[in-house]
Amino acid sequence: MKFKQIFQRLFGSNKQKPVSPQNGTQADKSEKMQKMLMMLSNTKDVELTCDEVFALLDQFVELAAQGEDVAQLMPLVKHHLDMCEDCRDEYKVLESIVQNVA
Amino acid sequence: MDKRTNEEWIADLRAGGEQQAKALEDLRAIILRGLPYAIAGRLDPNSPESEALAEEVVQETLMRVLEYLDTFEGRSQFTTWAHKIAVRAALTELRRRRWREVPLPEMEMNEDGDSSYRELPDDQASPEDQVDRKDMLKRVNRIIMEELTDKQRKALMATMEGFPLEEAAQRLGMNRNALYKLMHDARLRLKKRLEKEGLTPQEVLSVFEQAGK
Ligand SMILES: [Zn+2]
Repeated sequence: MKFKQIFQRLFGSNKQKPVSPQNGTQADKSEKMQKMLMMLSNTKDVELTCDEVFALLDQFVELAAQGEDVAQLMPLVKHHLDMCEDCRDEYKVLESIVQNVA
Repeated sequence: MDKRTNEEWIADLRAGGEQQAKALEDLRAIILRGLPYAIAGRLDPNSPESEALAEEVVQETLMRVLEYLDTFEGRSQFTTWAHKIAVRAALTELRRRRWREVPLPEMEMNEDGDSSYRELPDDQASPEDQVDRKDMLKRVNRIIMEELTDKQRKALMATMEGFPLEEAAQRLGMNRNALYKLMHDARLRLKKRLEKEGLTPQEVLSVFEQAGK
């Protein structure tokens, strides 16, 4: 997929910052459209829910920390993390804890 | 000491009395070492607010750990599992604080589909391309109006505005898990409707790609 380029052409090259929660309410309208189309194109018929991902997250984080190919081993968890910012944020924090504290 | 095996953690936490109290004390120290990673970038880590938050979260986490001890399946280190519970509790509270003053956005799209999306950068687009683009936006907006429930549209707007799912869910009177399902259903509907109209999300984007040339 070459969405990145499409977006840059579409929305101007001067701002290629990723859509982030920090944009908050300032997210401009075109970003909303682009975010939605991205989400649509990545939508799968079967997806895990937040609770299902939460149940597997500790295992997923440890496997990733051990250098395992988690996208291969737990593709549905990986997909959910790509789609869901709440779960992704939690994953990132847990990952840094496992790397630094454990 | 925090060098217990998973089995020892479980046994100690179930033991009651002194043995349990010691395990809780050790677990508390471990969780407090992890929490700065949740707070970093969200609150000033040295503020009294952060300290109070950490205290609040660690209490809640220890309670939940005891409550859900039977659900621990040993697929990870026990401490990773406990950190996971702490992270969820911490981020939930941090999201609530950050977003509590922000109202859920109102629907911006009107029936006509002549919506907010029209203000796209179009410096390079020819007049024909601009028309194509506008038509496509109108079409997508119409599909959103026709396919989604009111709740789904509200949630879609909110997440596009950067609202955390959990916060949007709470305002809509549901939990995060249920809202994820609702939004998954909404995405599937929109995608299928686009397909029915002979479009993929990529094709919708490509209209804008051409328009930008
Ligand atoms: Zn999620």
